[in-house]
Amino acid sequence: MRQDNAIEVRNVEKKFKIYPDKGKLLKEKVLFRSRNRYEERRVLKGISFDVKRGETVGLIGQNGCGKSTTLKLLTRIMYPDSGSIEARGRISSLLELGAGFHPDMTGRENIYINASIFGLGRKEIDRRLHEMIRFSELEEHIDNPVRTYSSGMYMRLAFSVAINVDADILLIDEILAVGDVNFQAKCFQKLMEIKKQGTTIVIVSHSLAQIEQICERSIWLQDGLIRMDGPAKQVDEEYLRYMDILRQEREKAEKGMLQTEVGERQ
Amino acid sequence: MKLIRELWNYREMIVSLVQRDLKSRYKGSVLGFLWMLLNPLLQLCVYTIVFSTILRTGIEKFYLFLFVALVPWIFFSTCLSGGTTVILGQQDMVKKIYFPREVLPIAYTTSQFVNMLLSFIVIFVVVFFSGITIELTALLYLPVIMLIEYVLSLGITLLVSGLTVYLRDMQQILSILSMAWMYMTPVVYSVEMIPKEYVRFFYLNPMTPVIIAYRDILYYGRAPKMGTLANAVILGIAILIIGEITFSRLQRGFAEEL
Repeated sequence: MRQDNAIEVRNVEKKFKIYPDKGKLLKEKVLFRSRNRYEERRVLKGISFDVKRGETVGLIGQNGCGKSTTLKLLTRIMYPDSGSIEARGRISSLLELGAGFHPDMTGRENIYINASIFGLGRKEIDRRLHEMIRFSELEEHIDNPVRTYSSGMYMRLAFSVAINVDADILLIDEILAVGDVNFQAKCFQKLMEIKKQGTTIVIVSHSLAQIEQICERSIWLQDGLIRMDGPAKQVDEEYLRYMDILRQEREKAEKGMLQTEVGERQ
Repeated sequence: MKLIRELWNYREMIVSLVQRDLKSRYKGSVLGFLWMLLNPLLQLCVYTIVFSTILRTGIEKFYLFLFVALVPWIFFSTCLSGGTTVILGQQDMVKKIYFPREVLPIAYTTSQFVNMLLSFIVIFVVVFFSGITIELTALLYLPVIMLIEYVLSLGITLLVSGLTVYLRDMQQILSILSMAWMYMTPVVYSVEMIPKEYVRFFYLNPMTPVIIAYRDILYYGRAPKMGTLANAVILGIAILIIGEITFSRLQRGFAEEL
């Protein structure tokens, strides 16, 4: 791995097995062999890219193009079928907030559990505890059980933990939809601050405006391949143009169908 | 090696999962702690009634003979049957966050181990009142055999928890297996009662030397034989290695399989 790279992705392929009727019991696996039939869906067909340390990259593309799968591979929740992924440093993800929260425990206790899942030690958590509580704006409720929280409070607490673990690499999937407008603005500010500190960030988003604000580089994925990789503005424009064409074609096709329908009726 | 270093980085997660488990168990019900002590005691009553009044074994102080084996057995069998829930019960976490998956089986085994240690308080009380004298040197072997049993149980938990993700009916299979396993282990009887020609098969069962060692220390009050300990160590480590190899292969597909 090169010194100045935070992430190296090489020829990564990933396919999922789609079972129409999957048997998960030993009984079924033995008795009903037919349930083991499956189709393969190739989600990633060999992608390679590097992310430099401190770089902020946005992943864009249509639904089902493999963005989220890429992110899941980067967090090591899933493993590629072939190719390799290497990452340097602590990875924190804002993919799923509040995993491991226990409703009967207090906010404070849950901070300890949740932060430890990100691989923090007790001392490290002690040091960050104050900032995590302050950021979540839950000072008054922090010693109440989490089950008494509203869903907004719950997300705020989860977000505060995830964003304050001081990761080297931060992975984000469609966020900045946490809490009210003010809290969202605060999250965005925090994100910019983290970016300034030199954290490597990879974002998946459908909001190009958001991506252009944070990222200097975009990677456009299409059908499991990288279609374009470069400065955010350029790639985004290209992507928008493509999506426009796609939409016009679809409209045209619909219109065409309408016309043939009308023609048939006459 | 890499795994050990990574697990060390995640030690805080293991500690807090164990704490969470123990706390919710003892906080959830007022009688939580009591139940934990009562369960082995009630089992002890049943077996004692059956084996010292109906099916007489003629073993002196049968209640103690049984009790010092039953508590370690319960630890092992809880890992065997409860291991099925270790990964499935934490689906949310496994599907969404990265952490070394071994953390979950380790935390589970550890919290069961702590439960066993608490039950040992009762064992010591019973031993004290039974009037049995235990050599001091024999007691030094107690932590050793506990550690060996921990290693063995961890191996079993790894194996079972990984397999259950792919074969959801493991639970049913295991409840029968665990009963059969108990009767194939000298828990309610002594090794001397096993017909000579079968004895060597019993030593392939990793729980046999473990139970013998516990009983040597706490019932006979003597240090276990080196042969017994070696037998236990070899089988325990073998199971742990098999468990970890299987688990590390299976864990790659957890997120897709859940």
